[in-house]
Amino acid sequence: MEEGRMVGKAAKVRRVVLTIVGTIIAAYVLFPFYLVVLNAFKAQTSIVASPISFMGASFDQLKTNLSSVVNNSNFNFWYAFGTSFIITVVSLVLLALFGAMAAWVISRNNKKKWSAVIYMIFIASMIIPFQVVMLPLISTFRDVGKFIGISMLQSVPGIVFAYCGFGGAMTVFILTGFIKGIPYDLEEAAAIDGCSPEGTFFRVIFPLLKPVITTVTILNGMWIWNDYLLPSLMLGQNGKVKTLPVAVQAFVGSYVKQWDLILTAALLAIIPMIIIFLFAQKQIMNGMIEGAVKG
Amino acid sequence: MKTNSTGSKMFSLILLAAGLIGLIGALAMDFSGSQNAVRGPMLIIGVVLFFVGLYFFPTLKYHRQIVYVIFLFPLLFSFAVTVIIPLLLGIGYSFTDWTGIKFTQVVGFANYIAMFKDPAFIWSIFITFIFVVMNMVLVNLFAFLLALLCTSGMKGVGFFRASYFLPNLIGGIVLGYIWQFVFNNVLIKITGGISWLVQTRTALMAIVIVYIWQYAGYIMLIYVTGLTQIPGDVLEAAKIDGANATQTLFEVKIPMLASTFTICTFLTLTSAFKQFDVNMALTNGTGSVPNFLGNYLSNGTQMLALNIYNTAIAKNNYALGQAKAVLFFIILACVSLVQVRISNKREVEL
Amino acid sequence: MKKKLLAMVMAGAMVLGLAACGEAAPAPAAGDAAPAADAGAAETAAPSGGSGEGIRLVNGKIEVDAMLKEAAALYEEETGKHVEIESMGGGVNIQDTLKGYYQADNMPDIFVCGSDADFGNWDGMLVDMSGEKWASDTDAAYKNDFGTIGFPYTTEAIGLAYNADLLEKAGVDPKSITGPDAMKKAFETLDSKKDELGLTAVIGWCTEPKDLYWSTGSHSFANYLDSGLSRDDTTYSDMLADGGKIDETRFEHYAEMVGLFNQYSDPALLTSGTYDQQILGFASGKYAFVTQGSWIGATMTSDDKDAYAEAGNFKCGMAPYAFEDGIDTILTNSPSWWAVFDNDNKADSLAFLQWLSEDKGQEILVMKAGFISPFKSCTFVAEDPFAATISEYTAAGKTSSWHWLKNKAGMDQNALGQVYADYALGTIPDAKAFTSTVSQVLQQYYAE
Repeated sequence: MEEGRMVGKAAKVRRVVLTIVGTIIAAYVLFPFYLVVLNAFKAQTSIVASPISFMGASFDQLKTNLSSVVNNSNFNFWYAFGTSFIITVVSLVLLALFGAMAAWVISRNNKKKWSAVIYMIFIASMIIPFQVVMLPLISTFRDVGKFIGISMLQSVPGIVFAYCGFGGAMTVFILTGFIKGIPYDLEEAAAIDGCSPEGTFFRVIFPLLKPVITTVTILNGMWIWNDYLLPSLMLGQNGKVKTLPVAVQAFVGSYVKQWDLILTAALLAIIPMIIIFLFAQKQIMNGMIEGAVKG
Repeated sequence: MKTNSTGSKMFSLILLAAGLIGLIGALAMDFSGSQNAVRGPMLIIGVVLFFVGLYFFPTLKYHRQIVYVIFLFPLLFSFAVTVIIPLLLGIGYSFTDWTGIKFTQVVGFANYIAMFKDPAFIWSIFITFIFVVMNMVLVNLFAFLLALLCTSGMKGVGFFRASYFLPNLIGGIVLGYIWQFVFNNVLIKITGGISWLVQTRTALMAIVIVYIWQYAGYIMLIYVTGLTQIPGDVLEAAKIDGANATQTLFEVKIPMLASTFTICTFLTLTSAFKQFDVNMALTNGTGSVPNFLGNYLSNGTQMLALNIYNTAIAKNNYALGQAKAVLFFIILACVSLVQVRISNKREVEL
Repeated sequence: MKKKLLAMVMAGAMVLGLAACGEAAPAPAAGDAAPAADAGAAETAAPSGGSGEGIRLVNGKIEVDAMLKEAAALYEEETGKHVEIESMGGGVNIQDTLKGYYQADNMPDIFVCGSDADFGNWDGMLVDMSGEKWASDTDAAYKNDFGTIGFPYTTEAIGLAYNADLLEKAGVDPKSITGPDAMKKAFETLDSKKDELGLTAVIGWCTEPKDLYWSTGSHSFANYLDSGLSRDDTTYSDMLADGGKIDETRFEHYAEMVGLFNQYSDPALLTSGTYDQQILGFASGKYAFVTQGSWIGATMTSDDKDAYAEAGNFKCGMAPYAFEDGIDTILTNSPSWWAVFDNDNKADSLAFLQWLSEDKGQEILVMKAGFISPFKSCTFVAEDPFAATISEYTAAGKTSSWHWLKNKAGMDQNALGQVYADYALGTIPDAKAFTSTVSQVLQQYYAE
């Protein structure tokens, strides 16, 4: 009895200590976010004078900062945001659709040689670092684009196409693993009912893929939305079409180091991700774990 | 039934023919050097029509095969054009004097020899390895400790887990500038002295810190999953046997997490190798090395990926940059092979 | 029927997917293309991005971005021709970006070039403008074997910029700065009166290597190359071109001066500051000297005008960087030029440049952007804080040219910038070590 109380007390103390430790670490992790939010409310002079205090912070200043970022013609926030959004969404939809189609074909033919070869190539290609393909990629896209009269560089469709190519391997890998686990009986039953192969895929298999498509969409989405190198090469560091990371780099890269605007821009770039995270926290964290464990 | 079949056969053949005409017409224009703007869309529409025609081709025997081809084509095509062809070209280009536009001669291994004569590149390899090892150890250590913390039954675990993971959502460029602000404007104010980003040694530390900050939360999630998957009766049994917390950790939990450790180690390893965005935004490779192999270097914090990028894009030496990239590829391929080996061995043991 | 419907959906998806590979057709058109799957569909080609949308100018002076856009707007109002201004800051390597544009088939029609190497990148691709009207109105155009290929848009000066009001208050006569000892004395005097003058530091000098390498590695280094020499004297520049050699005696004197700057600069600025911070500090009267050239006048009277007004809109001047006795010149030159890319738009580009060299263009460039006109017929005088001091030196014949255009490309960014930073940090302890390191680094860089 006495001992039990002691243990209970010790556990309580331990719990409080752990929570304090956790809070301290969380404070360290969240500190940069705090700085971004706080300083987006301040003017350049008060940022430089006292970056961590509330001095000089006001909603009016936030409004001023927001409007100067959004209206800055060298930054062009909404345009960059829209471009990033379109590129990400279209790439994700196409990757999910085409990836599922290809994965289904591969997993339903896994006894055949060609299917195994394609699968192996996809898996092996996952170790290829972007650096080794980026230079020839640009020159190939430029030359092919000129040759066939479709501009592949400096264009949204061109970069969406590239994302389909680069995201393909991982998408197919994860989806194939999942489809293999779907009993073949389901498809046979559908076939007996007179369903065509494509009908079976779209009506029977595709709906079953929802959880795993969520996973690949999260993984691809975080990569595409945040990617800098591919768009900076394909669209140019300061080209007509800019994604958000490229626009931030072009904006900050100049020697006009206006922290009020930079931090406001950073805030604007972060917010969409955080909002999505708040709504789909579980799915994102689970998706990231699954992607890591399977990749 | 019969007429229907003939009708769809006609329909299919018309589409196939139209597709082929579009395709061939567009290619003919390409090869004849026509600059007609119609040729691009014509090519695409030609290809699409061809496949639609193929799809409607009334055959029961080959219908399944046709569907397979149509299903595989989009992804395989984009994959081949963006990954396979550039990879093969890239390996080829690394043996030439390629300028990014054309090459005039094959130079054999000259690019590979040149890069090993460049002390700045050797330095890049050197610090990349140091960086990778430091990250592998530190990220995993912090992530594991965080995971233990998150599974220790403290209050508000959900909140803590989410906030540790939060930095992982943010892209390297934005994150790099946020931390540049922290180092150049905030830390100076708090601690006095000079910015961490100015001197090579401290700047490398800074990159490591930012990297841990960004990555530990993610790796933590994987460890948390591993820890929660340890069966309760195993822990219960350990408790009954009288093991204290430390013993349980080292003798039960850690051995059972072996495969998780492998996954996390290689995950941090490969991603640290490819580190680019943060490196570029935080220091862009600046920092001095007073004496490395008898040379003064001004690229103290420039890691491999950034070195490759700068060689090709900034210094306009595409062939050399490409050769460095091929080396980079070989290193990563070796690392991955080792990983596969270890994982397979473990699976056999289990 | 259901099968067909499904097929249609699939075909639609395919078209969307494949159209994604193509630039032309906008998304809705691509979606429509599926039902209209007949031969006529081939005609629904959207026009490819032609060049009928006016001309594009890549400007390297981000501080005059707004003024150039104003000029472009006025030009469009007058002629109906659109000019797009794309400004890039000093931290962006403009030539690299341009090479990227060239690779991506996205070349601007007019772009900035600042050195022989820059122009060399475009050999044979630039328009020879020797026949243009403005070409006979200036001596500052850039010429080489390919003809007159650079349009001069301003004149700039590099000297030790000072706050005249502050110096007067402290009893320091800027005219007395004629050698290293006098300069040192002036710095010491100012330093001793820092508090009463409200100074943060005597001089605003920044050696941050990531973004400000050009300020140290090109501009400051130019003083070693050219200060005190006659305009066409290229002794030290030629020496540098010969395998990266420096005159160690002269350089060490220069290095002593850099050491003085390191000592008396604002520690918060010296190693990790920014350009903005540097100019703002000077404009608000916190630094008595600043190591930037005359172009900061435009920033002081626009972005920083509140701070400048608060500090009393003080008078500015320039002293020579007198690191040796007898150096009595400041450096003036065209900082860079605008070159016209030889393409279908060149007639429009040339017309725009001609317009800029005439009254209406000059009025904006001089009066608003604070440029010091390189054109003889120009009657405008900028209300720039440094305009007076520049014309004084010019009238007295006390100007040197600068020759960093001849430096090996990227020398500031890839070699020198970091050495200046090390000197400021103290990892390079003194002028002698700085000299030998610079000597080593330059030879290494030229040997590459």
